[in-house]
Amino acid sequence: MEFNNLKKWQDKLHVCIRCGYCFEHCHLFKITGWESDAPRGKLVMLHALLQGDIDPSDSIAEKIFECYMCKRCEASCSAKVEITELFQDARTDFAEAGYDVTGTTSKTNEDKCGMCQSCISVCKHEARSVDEENDKIVVDIVKCQSCGCCVATCPTGAAYSREGFGLTQNELCQQVKNYLEGGTV
Amino acid sequence: MKINLEKIINIVGKENISTDPGDLLVYGSDSSVHEASACIVVRPGKIEHVQKIVIYANSKKIPIISRGAGSGMSGQAVPIKGGIILDMKRMNHILEVNLADVYCRVEPGVVDDDLNHVLKSHSVFYPPAPASSRVATIGGEIANNASGVRSIKYGAVRDYVLGMKVVMANGDLVSFGCKNRVEAAGYQLDRLMVGSEGTLGIIVEATLRFIPIPKLRCMGTAKFNKLKEAGDSIAEIMASGCQPSLLELMDNIAITAVNKAMDFGLPDVDAILMFEADGMVKEAIDFEMKKIKAICEKHNGFGIELSYDAKERTRIFSGRKKLFPSLSKYKELFACTSLADDMAVPYSKMAVMAQKIHDVAKRNNVIMTAYGHCGSGCMHTKILLDPTKNKQWDNAKNAVKEIYDFVASIDGSTSAEHGIGISKAFAFKKEKHDSLNFMHAIKKALDPNNILNPGKLMDAPDDWVTATRLRYKHN
Repeated sequence: MEFNNLKKWQDKLHVCIRCGYCFEHCHLFKITGWESDAPRGKLVMLHALLQGDIDPSDSIAEKIFECYMCKRCEASCSAKVEITELFQDARTDFAEAGYDVTGTTSKTNEDKCGMCQSCISVCKHEARSVDEENDKIVVDIVKCQSCGCCVATCPTGAAYSREGFGLTQNELCQQVKNYLEGGTV
Repeated sequence: MKINLEKIINIVGKENISTDPGDLLVYGSDSSVHEASACIVVRPGKIEHVQKIVIYANSKKIPIISRGAGSGMSGQAVPIKGGIILDMKRMNHILEVNLADVYCRVEPGVVDDDLNHVLKSHSVFYPPAPASSRVATIGGEIANNASGVRSIKYGAVRDYVLGMKVVMANGDLVSFGCKNRVEAAGYQLDRLMVGSEGTLGIIVEATLRFIPIPKLRCMGTAKFNKLKEAGDSIAEIMASGCQPSLLELMDNIAITAVNKAMDFGLPDVDAILMFEADGMVKEAIDFEMKKIKAICEKHNGFGIELSYDAKERTRIFSGRKKLFPSLSKYKELFACTSLADDMAVPYSKMAVMAQKIHDVAKRNNVIMTAYGHCGSGCMHTKILLDPTKNKQWDNAKNAVKEIYDFVASIDGSTSAEHGIGISKAFAFKKEKHDSLNFMHAIKKALDPNNILNPGKLMDAPDDWVTATRLRYKHN
């Protein structure tokens, strides 16, 4: 596998001193508890990929696509590691190498999709488009930032993203509603 | 090393194990320069899981390495001999807060700050507070006898551990210590576990005492144009009977790093001292601050500012709190490595130690900074180097040796708060040469098959550069 985009970070990745302070800010890590879901864990894997210490794999690609891009880790990182930019470059390389993974990115269930294109109009990241030839909605997994707007907007429930991170979409909606109405979650 | 996956899955469930190469790599590293690969990562959820896994590992003589947040700096959690990583973070429940008898019971995976968040609602706190308190787990803190910026007044983890439950190498669950403030009976086995770095048993529950949160804090900063004068101030403050709750040194390299990383605007001086007094009565705090201020001024400290304001104190201290990661920004493409990073130094030698660090750095063509909780006798440094060059590692190795030789010559100690792990073992063994036989005898008695975090402390290799693969590719 070629790391055409990631390789520019080769000499910069050791700026991460692996303090692990990013654990505190990562929602995904707090839910799963796996260190490989936290920013530090992902950076360790990318560092090892670039150094040739580990081979690329579906499971590593899946981890790299699992991130909500909230950037809380990046904002608090005193070593100023450009974490999400690194992830984006890694994602591009994995996608170009043909890895077909989902991570936290959104998908479309073609059986349910009515092609209303609401999801395209709400996507701030221009990740969704119409595949004219096959008459379906496609998602660019590198551009998708897992914000969930498409999932929330889709009138038929065709747009979806992986659940099981501790809270379903309905549960989340209920929590937000409770908070707005009563001030508690 | 063959591990019966089915057996482990039957104990903790499929969702709590991983043999994925990515996970093995991630869990094979910490905040040190070392890396190694385990055979499996296992996440126990209760004491019974730990016992069953340890019994299995002991029967097959498989190394077992218990792990908290992996924020250690000396390779304590790196599986130097492979084996099973026991990730204790799922066992993260606060079991009891007993205000009447002034203790709490916690599982080992509870994060320090999370415990203090709960205790705060009762106006009490658990004080050790290492800089990593936002992620560090209680189990890891006990295993490393951690301490932090307020250890000058409040001491280290060992001063707050009343008792604990431990799974021994044969799988037995035993209780050490008690729930009371005092206990005079027999061997203090709970104390033996503190700082043992996971080599004698696996801590599965801890009973900790807590103390009232001081109502008032006042923080001060003093600037110095000579590092020596800041060091002399520390020595005099501590010898004069002052009782600061914090006394921190930052040299010019530390100041520059924080300014670069956080755009902090600290003054470009040779050294800054941060000091704090806390308590329940303002007059008592003012008394301490006045004494400290006068001593700093006597040693040409200037620009001294004092603040009782919580927001201002937090702002001032945030630069120090995030200094470690900030050091990565000191020089482009240089790595900040935790080597010779926490020497215990006599107060009277603090100034010469700080100067020595700079001299050693210059002679060996690396960058080193002098900072730390100097009021508690802890001098930190880090070695900043180009990690891609073999020559730089040779230089770092020389620098580390020179530092520890000097520490020994001034009656200092190898580690004040970060532990020994792998990278400080050579200096530790030299320092403790006349008690190593006793340590080996204790280890042999409690862990005859040498399964608990083998190859650490007195059993770690002498050459830290080749002990494991370094996490940086160099040639």
